[in-house]
Amino acid sequence: MKRATVFLLMILLAIAVSYTSASAISRITVSINPPSIQANMGDKIIYAGTITNNSDKAADNVIAYISLANVTQGKESPMDLEDWSANKAIKVDTIPPHGTYEGKWPMRLIDSGSYVAYITAVDKNDNAPISSTLSHLEIQRVIRLNPNNVLPIALGEPILIGTVFLFISIKRRRKNK
Amino acid sequence: MKSAYIMQKEIRESILTPKGFLWYILTSIILSVLSYLFLTNSELSLLDQGEMLYLIMNFITALGVLIGLVFGADAFAGEMERGTLEALLISPVNKMEIALGKLGAALTNWGIILAISLPYLFVVGKRGQNLFIGIGYLAVLGTLLTIIFSAFSMGLSARIKSMKNSLIISFFLFLLVGSPIFLSTALRMTWFGKFLDLINPFADAINTFDSVVIDSQNFSYQAWRIAIICGYTLLSLWFLKRSVSKLEM
Repeated sequence: MKRATVFLLMILLAIAVSYTSASAISRITVSINPPSIQANMGDKIIYAGTITNNSDKAADNVIAYISLANVTQGKESPMDLEDWSANKAIKVDTIPPHGTYEGKWPMRLIDSGSYVAYITAVDKNDNAPISSTLSHLEIQRVIRLNPNNVLPIALGEPILIGTVFLFISIKRRRKNK
Repeated sequence: MKSAYIMQKEIRESILTPKGFLWYILTSIILSVLSYLFLTNSELSLLDQGEMLYLIMNFITALGVLIGLVFGADAFAGEMERGTLEALLISPVNKMEIALGKLGAALTNWGIILAISLPYLFVVGKRGQNLFIGIGYLAVLGTLLTIIFSAFSMGLSARIKSMKNSLIISFFLFLLVGSPIFLSTALRMTWFGKFLDLINPFADAINTFDSVVIDSQNFSYQAWRIAIICGYTLLSLWFLKRSVSKLEM
């Protein structure tokens, strides 16, 4: 009787352990790379995200997207990534059991400041979205006063046409006299 | 040959004048401000070089169309209001030759605007993609659009014989065809927006610029849009011919 009770308890313990570990490891995990970036305004960077399917079943129609939040003091806010040219969402048709999907999110850095980026995956079979850890992004301000040598053209051409205009006006006035 | 004579006269009277040159000074000032803003403003300067080139090309095209409409509106109604149309009609030049001469002057004006804009295009598109092919498309499509809008406005001017009214109608037309610039991308994605884009020669031109400069797509992607623009060109010349043939004092 004692043996049977111990055996029963061991079985119950094994079931409980396996249930606990199954619920602790989510069906899907997401990671972001690189963990931190320092760059200048105007640079193009690429975030790589890895979505891992930890279950024995294929994960279908997973939606993954990148988010960016400004954490500069006084400017804290989520960012609209439209201007940053980032491909926001990727739909992954299927990730095989214990397989991974690697997605890339290129981004053009529009404004200076401190930001955090993270990738979120949404699987309709999970109760909650799964997000990666935060990747810290520091963007330095760049000031350009004469990019592409624009000033000589921007100032010179109106002056040149204005000079021709004055020449024609004076010539006409003399002709009329 | 007679058209060439009329064209020379128009160029002397409308382009090679202090008033005509004011347009070009204003054009270059606006292009200077735009280029400088594009390249130095912290956010605008971070646009793709191709995107900047595309935006400047749109602006140059709109400017060419707008000045073409003014040229067209002035063509016959302006002559009538200045009292010079009668002299022109009794000269040994037929009405269509007069119209073609005036259209030639409008095209010359477009050519000057294009020439003024070239340095800006080179500066803004420097190190960017598809600069030369973009300029080629701008030259061809800008010329076709100038023919379309100048010929339409000229035909209108011959029919309603009032410069004020033909200018107002032409500006309304400009606002209508310029809708892709004024409407947001979301609105353009609706069925009505897509339909407007399809039948609008101006939208066809700017979508072609987008496709060539930003998306680097080849001629096969542009063929149907260019065909629509060519169709409008023929239609506007036909409208001009019909309108001018009915022109009387």
